[in-house]
Amino acid sequence: MTPDSRIKLTSELLDLPILDSEDKYCGIVDDVEFAGSKHLRLKALLVGPGAYAGRMPGWMFWLVKTVAGDHMGRVPMDRIKTIGATVKLTCPGTELGLNRGETAAGRWIPHKAAM
Amino acid sequence: MNPLELTLGIMTAVGGFVDVSELVFAAKAGSTFGYALIWVFALGTVGIIVFSEMSGRVAAVAKQPVFNLMRHRLGLKLGLVTLLASMISNLITCAAEVGGVALILNYLTGAPYFLMAIVMVAVMIASIWILPFKWIERVYGLFGLFMLVFAAALVAIHPPWDKIAGGFVPQVPQGLSTKELLTFAYFSVAILSAVMFPYEVYFYSSGGIEEGWGPKDMLTNRVTSILGMSLGSMLAIAILSNSGQLFGPANVDPEIPGTAALQASIPFGRWGLILALLGMFFAIAGAAVETCLANAYGIAQFFGWNWGRHKKPWEAPRFTLTWMALFLLALLIVLTGVDVMMLVEFAILFSILVLPLTYLPLLLLAGDKKYMRGHANGPVAKALGWLYFAIISAAAVAALPLFVLTSGGNG
Repeated sequence: MTPDSRIKLTSELLDLPILDSEDKYCGIVDDVEFAGSKHLRLKALLVGPGAYAGRMPGWMFWLVKTVAGDHMGRVPMDRIKTIGATVKLTCPGTELGLNRGETAAGRWIPHKAAM
Repeated sequence: MNPLELTLGIMTAVGGFVDVSELVFAAKAGSTFGYALIWVFALGTVGIIVFSEMSGRVAAVAKQPVFNLMRHRLGLKLGLVTLLASMISNLITCAAEVGGVALILNYLTGAPYFLMAIVMVAVMIASIWILPFKWIERVYGLFGLFMLVFAAALVAIHPPWDKIAGGFVPQVPQGLSTKELLTFAYFSVAILSAVMFPYEVYFYSSGGIEEGWGPKDMLTNRVTSILGMSLGSMLAIAILSNSGQLFGPANVDPEIPGTAALQASIPFGRWGLILALLGMFFAIAGAAVETCLANAYGIAQFFGWNWGRHKKPWEAPRFTLTWMALFLLALLIVLTGVDVMMLVEFAILFSILVLPLTYLPLLLLAGDKKYMRGHANGPVAKALGWLYFAIISAAAVAALPLFVLTSGGNG
């Protein structure tokens, strides 16, 4: 594997949709976490606007936090079943703290009247 | 391709084409410059067809929302700047549409403007909540077809068809003073902005995903965008031409959206006026719904939330709260008492300023073989896309100086 293909691996992981073991949509890959110092190894996928913190100027992150919050879920590599057009998990997203924002927002929405 | 579905799609696109800004600028352009600005409507219509077709193709092939792909293609920071720019543009546009629809109801019923704004926002929120996506589009789009009364009025007043046909040729009227030339240039930029509002493309593309488009729907996408938008644009050109024939010679300046409705009352009397107001009401309300949803689509897609009205509102709760909050924000802007015409001016100005930023990523995505495989932009789409990108970039550079120099087209 060339240095170029390693970089590509990471860039292609970013923004991929994540589906849990029940095929529920759990967000997109916002960042990745590495382990090791000399030989980097993918350790986890980070999901949620909290993962943007180091990737943008302070004012931008403040704006993101105001609109979307700063929660961040962490998906360890051993919870990933496959990586393709989507990332598939071996467990429900709620076990990893994913979809917390949707659940919280859901409390404000009445479950009636829509066709 | 189901012919009934296709016909309904085209009719929906026709009825939903005109919004408050196009209505106002078409009427003002006709009364001020006769038929000389028809070609700008035609130019803008080809532009919106080019970018809508591209966005529909991206939705059908990549099956991913434009804002998600945009973020991946442009990176997080530039993607966020694009989101922010389109959010502000869409919000001001939505407020202008809410103000416009409240004004129409005020004309129709005599009820207070602010009360009508509140009632209409409640009705539009309820309609998005209750109706499935396809019917949200169709209810507003199909009832917007009452606007056809403007085309019928044009035929009834026997206009000089040769002069109208001549208006399709790019031109600058002879003998204008410097001040009038600047106003003509400002109107050209404003019309281009009104026809090519970014929300239209985002709504269209997200709508393609809502309806589950795939590569098999490529023809539907092409036919709907080309036919629907061309015929819709004809309505705007009919309003301009009516205005050139009726308002210009009488020195009537259609300063408020309701003035355009008088065009139908001249040949058809009371019923013409009512049909015109009803058409305007549904077309502008449809545009308000589209701008609001387009904004919520963008935000939800960028942050990776569940989104779409093909889901029940409680299945995509953050998306639902977002479009509701955006509607309430637009209402708040209207309730500050800001003039609808000022909102229209700002919507036009801000949209043209951000237009290049919002269309460039789409152009790059549609031409990217990695995402689009065999459906990436061909030579024609590529050439037209870059040509229009150059045109809207030039218009964006000229917009602010022209706005200041002409006091927003008021000379």
